Amino acid sequence: MSELVRPVVWIHADCLSPQHPALLAYPGAPALFVWDEALLSSLRISLKRIVFLYECLLELPVSIRRGDVAAEVLAFASEQQADGVVTSASPSPRFAAISAQIAAQRPLRVLPVEPFVQIEQRLDLARFARYWRAVEARALNTFPEDTV
Amino acid sequence: MPKDMRRDFADRAELVAYLAAEFPAAAAESAAVSATRGGRRAAEALLTAIQPARYASTRNFLDGAVTRLSAYLRHGVLSLAEVRRAALRAETRPAEAAKLISELAWRDYWQRVYAVIGDGIWEDREPYKTGLEAAAYAQELPADIAAGTTGLACIDAFSRELVDSGYMHNHARMWLAAYVVHWRRVAWQAGARWFLTHLLDGDPASNNLSWQWVASTFSHKPYVFNRENLERYSGGIYCRACPLRLQCPFDKSYEALQAELFPGGAPAATPPRRRQ
Ligand SMILES: Cc1cc2nc3c(=O)[nH]c(=O)nc-3n(C[C@H](O)[C@H](O)[C@H](O)COP(=O)(O)OP(=O)(O)OC[C@H]3O[C@@H](n4cnc5c(N)ncnc54)[C@H](O)[C@@H]3O)c2cc1C
Repeated sequence: MSELVRPVVWIHADCLSPQHPALLAYPGAPALFVWDEALLSSLRISLKRIVFLYECLLELPVSIRRGDVAAEVLAFASEQQADGVVTSASPSPRFAAISAQIAAQRPLRVLPVEPFVQIEQRLDLARFARYWRAVEARALNTFPEDTV
Repeated sequence: MPKDMRRDFADRAELVAYLAAEFPAAAAESAAVSATRGGRRAAEALLTAIQPARYASTRNFLDGAVTRLSAYLRHGVLSLAEVRRAALRAETRPAEAAKLISELAWRDYWQRVYAVIGDGIWEDREPYKTGLEAAAYAQELPADIAAGTTGLACIDAFSRELVDSGYMHNHARMWLAAYVVHWRRVAWQAGARWFLTHLLDGDPASNNLSWQWVASTFSHKPYVFNRENLERYSGGIYCRACPLRLQCPFDKSYEALQAELFPGGAPAATPPRRRQ
C-alpha cells in the first residue's frame, strides 16, 4: 500500500494515549473517536465507565461522535478529504470487523503499539507458566543482550 | 451535517450531567461516578508513585501497595511497556521489580490468548473440574448479590465497591467470583457480564479468562478460599461486624469446603498453590 499523506486518525478505546502511534506518525491529522452504539447496548456498561473514557478523550486532540463506527469514520474521512485512515492495533474481534468494513472503502493503515516485551519466537499460550518462562528474562531486562 | 459531541465543560459535574443525558441506558445501569479520573495526567501521577518492592511483599493484602493502574492500562492510556520500564527504574535490582512485572505479564498473556480465540473467551475453554456439569450452574446473577444484600459483610462490601467505584482489589475479585460460581452455583459468564458493566478496567480478556480460572474452565482446579484466608488478607475488617459471623459459609477447613462444594470433583485450588 502506498504511503498515506493526508489521513484521518481513528482512535478507539484500546489506545487512549496522547502518545498514540498514529498521532505521533501524523501530527496534526484530524482524529475521531466514535461511541459504538451497538456495542454499548450489548455490553450495557454503566455511566462511570463512560465518564472515565470521556475524561481520557478530553485530553486528546479528537472529535467525538456516536453511531456506527465504520460509517462514522468513513464519513469523517470524506469530510476531511483524506486519502486514508490510520489507527492502532487491537486483539479484539470487533476491531477486526470494523477495520475490514473501513478497509473495504478506504486505505487503512494499522500501526502496532509498543509490545510489553520484544519476542520473536512463537509463544506457547496453553498456560501462563509456559508463556512466562519464555518471556521472563526479556521482561526483567536480564536477557544477556539487554544488559550492556 | 454530523454533530460532534461536546468537549467544553466547566467542571466534572457538568460533564457527568451531559453524559447521563446522552447515555440514559448507562445511567440506568448505575448513575454512580468513580472518584478515579480518566486521562493521562491522572495515570502519570499514579505511575510515579509505584513501589515495586513493597508491592511484592504486600500485594495480596487489601491495603497493600497495589498500583491501581488497571483502567489506564486497559484503555491504553499507559502501555505495559511504559509501566514495565518504570518498575525497573524504581528499584535498583530487577529482582525487586519482578513480582509487579510478572503481574503485568498476566495482562499481556490474556491479550495474546484473546488474539487467538477471539469471542471464544465467552465459552468454557474446558469442562468445569468441580464434579458438576455446566448445566448445573444458573444463567442469571442472583439479585441479592447484585444489590449487595446477601447479609455477608464481605460479599456485600465487594459488590458495593464494584458498583460505586468501578475498582476492586485482585483478591476481592477472586473471593467474590468464587462465591458467585462455587457457593451460589452461578455460571461464570453471568458474573463476568456484571463485572464488565461496572469495572473501569473491564476487559473482555482479563476479566473473562480470570473468571474461567476461578471457575476451573481454564485451570486444573476450581479456586476457593475460607474465612481464615479472607480474614487475614482483609485485616478482619468485614468479619468483625458481620451479622452472619456465627453462620459464616466460609468458616470451614478446605477439606470440609471441598466435600460441601464439589462432591465428587477434583481437589480445589487453595491458597498455598500459586494464585494469579
Ligand atoms: C474475577 C476477576 C476479574 C478480573 N477482571 C479484570 C478486568 O476486567 N480487567 C483487568 O485489567 N484485570 C482484571 N482482573 C485482574 C486483576 O484483578 C486486576 O488487573 C487488578 O486487580 C487491577 O488492580 P491494580 O491495577 O491495582 O493491580 P496491580 O496488582 O497493581 O497490577 C498492575 C497491573 O498488572 C495487571 N494485572 C495484575 N494482575 C493481573 C491479572 N491477574 N490478570 C490480568 N492483569 C493483571 C493489570 O493491568 C494491573 O493494572 C480480574 C481478576 C479476577 C480474579
